[in-house]
Amino acid sequence: MDLLLILIPVIASGLFWTTGSRKKLHIINVAGSLALLLAAAAVTIRLQNAGVITYSILNGFFYIDALNALVLDITAVVSFLVSLYSVGYLNSEYPAAEDLKRIKLYYSLTSAFIFTMVLAATTQNLGLLWIAIEATTLASVFLVGFFNTKRSLEAAWKYIIICSVGIALAFLGIVFLYYSAHLIHNTESALNWSFLSAQAGSLDSGVLKLAFIFILVGFGTKAGLAPMHTWLPDAHSEAPSPVSALLSGVLLNNAMYGIVRFMSIVNKNLGDSTYTGRLMIAFGLLSVGASVLFILAQKDYKRTLAYSSIEHMGIISFALGLFTPASLLAAFFHMFNHSLTKSMLFLCAGNVLHKFKSKEIISISGLFKAMPLTGGAFFLGILAIAGLPPFSIFASELNIIIAAFTSGHIAVGSVFTFQIAAAFAAIAYALFRMFFGTPAENHNHEDNPAGNAVILALLAAILITGFYLPPFLQTLFASAARIVYGG
Amino acid sequence: MESFLDLLSVSLLISAFGLTAAKRIRSYIKVFQLQSLLLVASTLTLGLRNFPNEGILGILFLAVVIFILKVLVIPRLLSNTYTKVEYTVEKDFFINIPSAIMICAALVILTYFTIHSLDGLLNARLKFYLVNALSVVLIGLFFMISRKKAIGQIVGFLVLENGLFATALFSANGMPIIVDLGILIDLLTAVMLMGMLVFKINETFDSINVDRLKNLRG
Repeated sequence: MDLLLILIPVIASGLFWTTGSRKKLHIINVAGSLALLLAAAAVTIRLQNAGVITYSILNGFFYIDALNALVLDITAVVSFLVSLYSVGYLNSEYPAAEDLKRIKLYYSLTSAFIFTMVLAATTQNLGLLWIAIEATTLASVFLVGFFNTKRSLEAAWKYIIICSVGIALAFLGIVFLYYSAHLIHNTESALNWSFLSAQAGSLDSGVLKLAFIFILVGFGTKAGLAPMHTWLPDAHSEAPSPVSALLSGVLLNNAMYGIVRFMSIVNKNLGDSTYTGRLMIAFGLLSVGASVLFILAQKDYKRTLAYSSIEHMGIISFALGLFTPASLLAAFFHMFNHSLTKSMLFLCAGNVLHKFKSKEIISISGLFKAMPLTGGAFFLGILAIAGLPPFSIFASELNIIIAAFTSGHIAVGSVFTFQIAAAFAAIAYALFRMFFGTPAENHNHEDNPAGNAVILALLAAILITGFYLPPFLQTLFASAARIVYGG
Repeated sequence: MESFLDLLSVSLLISAFGLTAAKRIRSYIKVFQLQSLLLVASTLTLGLRNFPNEGILGILFLAVVIFILKVLVIPRLLSNTYTKVEYTVEKDFFINIPSAIMICAALVILTYFTIHSLDGLLNARLKFYLVNALSVVLIGLFFMISRKKAIGQIVGFLVLENGLFATALFSANGMPIIVDLGILIDLLTAVMLMGMLVFKINETFDSINVDRLKNLRG
């Protein structure tokens, strides 16, 4: 029954090729992602009582606990909202009847992309996880290059080459892990996370340490940690805006999730988190620092948003590196917040790009007057992503800072606090000039009502979770943190 | 059997050097083919060695799949792609070949010292295999950055992947079969997509030199 989760996107991906009507294509996509959302919700509700959902087929590859469920739910929510937005987006981007093929291709690639991400979030077999994350690159490379322009093809080429190599290095990490487990326990389940986590104490520490570096560099490439981030701004800025929302809101989490699973095994084996913590904190601080500098120099608003994703992945990595129950909880809360906020921002950016036909910050002015709704939401979203209260990112960043100082990391905590303050200033400086002044032309139409509703819903969500976290989310974050912490 | 495996492991490394020394696109596709054949031989040997005591048919089956994909299908795909985008100008490298070989030798030495500084579960024979296989990975990586043509980067990636496969094979007798097959299918898809991209890049940029790709900076 739960296997439906994996099957829904696959079926949808195929169904698009059976119909020739634009309306049906939209219906299939929205219905498919709604079904995925419902299935994910059902699993999450059942998980409240069960703790772990797994089946014995194929060595128990299907496995859901609170940590998976968190990643899975973010995937389902964001892809549902993006599918609603895509209807209006595609209709205005590809209005002609002969563009139907492009729409089909777009939908079936996004469904395949979502399939790979759902697969990554529902398996405990680390080998399959690797395959799924590699497949996310393959499914999305033509989405990045969808417009077939010079810039987008270049972005797609960089994306596939850099990510494939990065992921290949992660494979080396998995080989080492498998090797160290295989020597002692000669079983087929030597790649299953639940098995490895239970047997963590008997694995060889030296080999595991080596494996963790490869995993961190490999999945870190995919998660956009500096200095392996170079594909990210290109891919996120050249992809169609709904795809950017998926890449930034969902894909980065999935890669980070791979690191988290691994980190928990290594920490359990070593008995403390100093080794992984130092690496994660270093990569985290480097990412935040690098993204601040690049944001200041940015001329393109989608690239600015992409660099801000690097910043937030850095923040998550930093929080994971602290490895206290409080910081882990804050890290997962931040992951959730970043996904919602950043996908909303990319959808707003899509509206702006559609109206102004330009990604340059300079050629856009007076957004408040030109597009009151999108402009207003975009402005509030930028405040939220920069970390201003009352939005949820402020809450999670504050929690991370508190966790850093209470766990005694005074020096790195101070550097971190200074860096996110600088990031705030950089984002405000780079993007605020788009909003004021008078627009060049002023015909005040904002089409895509469904898309606007999505943007407003996301805005409401990040506003509400800023000061009130519903109990079921609280338990989800807390039990995810407990799983990683291993208590 | 053991000494035959040693021989194969070293030949894999030597074929990686052969790759660095190859000047033309066609010739390094050939070298890749040869290296994949060596990989098939290693898989078969390991399969035969483990056959009496473990009786796994999986690894033999795997050898057949690798042979079909890496020796037949992928090189063919690559040379088809190349035929479609062929140019007369052939100089393809940023770094001249003698110095590239010196760099690769340095990479092997680096790997040797890194692996030998590890202690723990690794015995001497395993260290030897790991040095060879990981050097192939690094040489593949180096090959990717030292060539101008997009196809060079694909071949570099494939060689890197061969190195990874060899690592898994020699250290842990390969991964579980489902993972191995998944990886091979991923790889085939990756190469097909890369080939299609090369084709599109050639159409749009009138060249497959990756140093033309510099619109996106900063």
